[in-house]
Amino acid sequence: MNDRAMELVVGAGQTLLENGSEVSRAQNTMEIMARTLGIAGFHVYVLTNGIFASAEGEGPDAAPVSAVRHIPRTRIHLGRLEAVNALSRQLAAGQLTLEEAEAALARARAMPVYGPRRSLLAGALGSACFGYLFGGGPAEVVTAFAAGVLEMLIVEGFGRAGVSKVFTDIAGAAGCTALALAARGIWGAGYLPSQAIIGALMVLTPGVALTMGIRDLINADYLSGTIRVFDALLVAGCLACGVALSYLVANALLGVPL
Amino acid sequence: MIEELARAVVQFAVAIVATICFGVAFQAPRRHFVSCGLVGAVGWVVYLLCTDLGGLSAPVATLIAAIPLTALARWFAIAHKAPITLFLLCGIFPLVPGAGIYYTAYYLLINAQALFAARGIETLKTAVALALGIAIVSSIPLPGQRRRAPAPPDSRPPSSGT
Repeated sequence: MNDRAMELVVGAGQTLLENGSEVSRAQNTMEIMARTLGIAGFHVYVLTNGIFASAEGEGPDAAPVSAVRHIPRTRIHLGRLEAVNALSRQLAAGQLTLEEAEAALARARAMPVYGPRRSLLAGALGSACFGYLFGGGPAEVVTAFAAGVLEMLIVEGFGRAGVSKVFTDIAGAAGCTALALAARGIWGAGYLPSQAIIGALMVLTPGVALTMGIRDLINADYLSGTIRVFDALLVAGCLACGVALSYLVANALLGVPL
Repeated sequence: MIEELARAVVQFAVAIVATICFGVAFQAPRRHFVSCGLVGAVGWVVYLLCTDLGGLSAPVATLIAAIPLTALARWFAIAHKAPITLFLLCGIFPLVPGAGIYYTAYYLLINAQALFAARGIETLKTAVALALGIAIVSSIPLPGQRRRAPAPPDSRPPSSGT
C-alpha cells in the first residue's frame, strides 16, 4: 500500500518537474499528496533534476520505503503540468481513490504533443512576431519567418535523429544566421540582419530558464537555481557559437562586415 | 496621438500572437491560449509604455511590467483552476531578456569586452527584476484564498499504518 502510494507521489512530482514546475511547487504538491494518502513519515528533497523521497515502512519491523528519481531535461508540456495539478487537487478533496489517481497520472503522462507541422508554424510565426516587436520592418519580419522555419526544421530533424542538445542549438543558430545574412542579397541596403536573427533565435534563447532559475534562487532553492542558471548560460553560449560561426564564414567568403 | 494609439494596439495584437506561439512550443492546452496571450501582451504593452513614454531603463520597466502581468496570471489561475506557472511561463516570454543573453554571449565571443560587460549586467538586472516582480505579486496573500491545510511542524500523520 505504502509502496504504491509512494510510487504515485514520486511519479506526480517527476511529471511536474519534467514539465517546467518550480521546485517549491513540486515539493508542496508531493507533501500534500503524501499527507492525503496517509504515507507515514514522508520526507522529500527536490532538485531541478532529481527527487529523493523516503517514508516509513508499514508494520513495526518493515524497512523504510525510499525512492530516488533522476529527471533529465526534457521538453516542457504545460498540459501535463495542469493535469497533475488537477489530479492532486481532486485527490486532496477526496474525489479519487489510489487506483483512479494512478490511472489519471498515467493519462497525464501520455498526453499528446502538438504535431510537427503545427510546431513549425508556431515557431516561424513566433519568430516573425518577435522580429516585429524588436523593431523590425517588413523585410526583417519576412526574413525572421523564413529563418524560423529553417530553425524549427533543424530542431525537429536533429531531435528525431537523437543529436545532442548542444549541437542542435549550435546548428539551429548557425542555420538561421546564415539565412538572415544571405537575405541581404534580396533586401539590399537598410536591411538589418541582426533584428531578423534575434527574432528567430527567441525560440531557442534561454530567457525563461534564466528567469526561472533566478526565481528558484529568490525562493532560497540555491542548488536548483544554480542548475537552471548554468543551463541557461550553456544554451546562450551554444547560440552565440552558432551565430559567430555563420558570421565568420560569411565574412571570409562574401565579405559581410562583422 | 492617434498614431501612437494605433501603434500600441498593433503591438498588443502582435504580442498576443507571439505569446500564443510560445504557448504552442510549451504545449499549453488550447483552451488557455487566449489567457496566455493576454498575460503576455499586457506585460509587453506596459513595458513599452514605461520605456517609450516614461523613459525608464529596461530593468525598471521590466519590474513594473511584471506586476500587472503576474496579477493577471494569478487571476486566470484562480478563475481557470490551473497552475499559475502555465500562464507565467508563456506570458513572460516577451519580457525575458532573450536578446540580452544572446548579445552578451555574442560580445564575449567576438572579444568586445566593454560591450559584453554592459550587456551582461543589464541582462542579469532585467532577469532579476522580472523574477522579483513575479515574486512580489505572487506572494501577496489574497483575502478570499484559504491556504490548504497548513503543514504540521513534523509532517507525519498521527499513527497511520502502525
